[in-house]
Amino acid sequence: MSSKSNLDRAGFLLFLLLAILPMAAGLLYAASYSVGLAGLLSEGFTWEYWGRPFQEGNQIFASFAFSLGVALAATAITLLVALLLVLTVRRSLDSGLLAHLSTIPLALPGTVLAFVILQWCSGSGIAARAAYALGLLQTPAQFPGIVNDQYGVGIIIAQVMVGVPFFALLFTQLWHSQRISQLMELAQTIGATRAQRAMRVAVPLLLHRAFPTVMLHLVAVIGVYEVPLLLGVQSPQMISVLTMRNYAMFDLQQKPEAFICAILYTLLSLLLIAIAWRRMHRMDHEQSA
Amino acid sequence: MSNQHRIFQNALVAAVGMLFAAPMLYLLLLSFAEGWTFPHLFPPRVSAGLWETMWGREQGLVGGLLLSILLSVVVAVGSTSVGFLAARYVSYHRWRRGLLFLSYIPFVMSPVVLGACIHVVFIRLGLVGTVAGVVIAQLMFALGFAVIFFVSFWNAERKSLEEAARMLGATTPQTYSRVLLPISRQPLLLCFLQTFLFSWFQYGLTLIIGGGKITTLPVLVYLYTGEANIYYAAGASILLMLPPLVMLWGNRAMAVRFGR
Amino acid sequence: MVLTVQEIGKCFGQQMVLQGVALSVAERQTLSVLGRSGCGKTTLLKIIAGLIAPDSGTVRLHGAEITKKPTEQRNVVYLYQEPLLFPHLTVFENIAFGLRLRRLPNNDLTHRTTRMLEHLELQAHAKKFPHQLSGGQKQRTAFGRAIIIAPDVLLLDEPFSSLDPETRASMQHLFKQLAQEYGIASLFVTHDLKEAILMGDSIGYMEAGKLTTFASRQEFINHPDYGARNEIEFWSSLRQQATNHDHAATV
Repeated sequence: MSSKSNLDRAGFLLFLLLAILPMAAGLLYAASYSVGLAGLLSEGFTWEYWGRPFQEGNQIFASFAFSLGVALAATAITLLVALLLVLTVRRSLDSGLLAHLSTIPLALPGTVLAFVILQWCSGSGIAARAAYALGLLQTPAQFPGIVNDQYGVGIIIAQVMVGVPFFALLFTQLWHSQRISQLMELAQTIGATRAQRAMRVAVPLLLHRAFPTVMLHLVAVIGVYEVPLLLGVQSPQMISVLTMRNYAMFDLQQKPEAFICAILYTLLSLLLIAIAWRRMHRMDHEQSA
Repeated sequence: MSNQHRIFQNALVAAVGMLFAAPMLYLLLLSFAEGWTFPHLFPPRVSAGLWETMWGREQGLVGGLLLSILLSVVVAVGSTSVGFLAARYVSYHRWRRGLLFLSYIPFVMSPVVLGACIHVVFIRLGLVGTVAGVVIAQLMFALGFAVIFFVSFWNAERKSLEEAARMLGATTPQTYSRVLLPISRQPLLLCFLQTFLFSWFQYGLTLIIGGGKITTLPVLVYLYTGEANIYYAAGASILLMLPPLVMLWGNRAMAVRFGR
Repeated sequence: MVLTVQEIGKCFGQQMVLQGVALSVAERQTLSVLGRSGCGKTTLLKIIAGLIAPDSGTVRLHGAEITKKPTEQRNVVYLYQEPLLFPHLTVFENIAFGLRLRRLPNNDLTHRTTRMLEHLELQAHAKKFPHQLSGGQKQRTAFGRAIIIAPDVLLLDEPFSSLDPETRASMQHLFKQLAQEYGIASLFVTHDLKEAILMGDSIGYMEAGKLTTFASRQEFINHPDYGARNEIEFWSSLRQQATNHDHAATV
């Protein structure tokens, strides 16, 4: 009775109007464009555009595979480093030097992050100059391409750089909320060695609780735009970059492909969000049990 | 703990700390550097020239800064206030879970990809290339975040506190002004800061909906980078990083939430 | 009668929570309702307070129907099991909350609140915030906050169940005193037989959404179904055994 006021309803209507409705309209438009029902060239319903990703030389599936690979690699490395940090220097992350410094990478917008990595890792960048100073190379061209490279190394480095402090801080918080110190002491009384305590108590518990966040992080990294825009190559491209390129092309023939990309990306994201979502709810029950 | 172990730990903390601080330090150094190209590992000359000239009108940095501040404040105020109320509705709604799931879509999905899809809607409404259009597009995503943020806030305890106020005779405005808003100050501030940063960082969406005409700070950073004007890019980057740094240092709890 | 409830029914989905509930509370009287958890006690109180709408039936206050009146206009206060204080306000401001809403002149407000603090023996804690208080102090503050606006009816939902036995006994005493002094009618819900008998001028028993009321305490105690007699017999037989034992020892 009292809990629902007109004010809330107005707020919710605005949320529908400003967020859900345009999103739904956009996706609907994308879907109808991809089957020839919308757009300047529309000639009625057709599956023709959906056949294109399967044609030889089409970039869409390559781009999905590349994005997923980059996201998985970046997330795996991020988690590994963050776990190592929390197991070795947790106290500093908690309230020491790292507690303060770890906020710096989090304050990096994608554009700045990409710019910095480019300045560090390009052929004439800081890393190459260090190698030059050590006598390891004579010209920038000799420096191995780790930005604008086929394997997305530059993109992965950039994502790891912002991912590590975030997960390190998350793990530090979970360490407290899940009483991991106490559980490890308990394991010690049962006879677990240092390594066993880390591998059988801390790591599985941290990963279990962080799982939904890891999934959402994965969705976010798959969709990054600013970083691969500067650090990527023409082919393969990350999904966001490819979508934008197809969309912004003067060749209207490419537009349906942009929307096919967008829809496939949406489906993939929804799947991953749903996985995260299920786990979140299961954990709510664990918590209240 | 053995001595060796402690030395190892301190060295590790120092090394990781350096890595974390490196981007900021590098940008600062770059903004004071001159002629810092291959093969110079350190700047051959330093000067404060950039910090004197970059405020000039033709660089557009001051305009970009003001525009960024305006955009971010409007987006943050709008999404925080609407999100606060909408989340209340969602929290106490029968379909709480379904509605919450919807909010996750703009929260984590790529603004650029969704931006391409809604572009045509914005064209029809005559919003492309306008500040209002960019505000509305950014609100769409910031709102998803704000709703998720506040849904966990509206729990059984808040509801009971509100009921307690009502039974003591509080009307709806009184319930808000005397109970709900005062107990929500901290989360409201957090949400404001985070949605502010979302907008402050946004590049791709601003580019699509702004049609290249809305040159916020991130857009300028990218422009300078594209023109190979690395010193200006560094200066603009520092301006871009300062507000988030102050906010994140002020509240570390936010740092963790923000990364999501 | 201050409060009259007639034929209240309420379902949550398929589940019937209240069925044909009727009760009345007279001026300055306390009706205790005894029942196990999940019998519908809380739902009944929330309906009277206007926090939940009933499916059927009426609630009357001094004869006037209030079934559809908004909570804030009823002058009925529901006290939660957990003392739910406003975390952003001091003890003083928590107690003065209702008076502030009524825009009482400042010195009148200060006077009344201070008097209430004295009654509750909370003077020393007036400037503290809820998180600095003990469980008993919190519950006393919640009482003060409710009673100071002189509600027509006070609804108490197991208000002492989270307190330790000693604090509980002193709170029971304090509540009787305050109700008397401020002349408040109340409905007291508990699962504790002893507390029900101690607090109520009359008693009701609730089971599976149905309420049976007794005109007097004695009638309830004498009834074979509700365990009061068993309880009395248990304690007196224990006493008997003890005296026999003492007797044997002295012999």
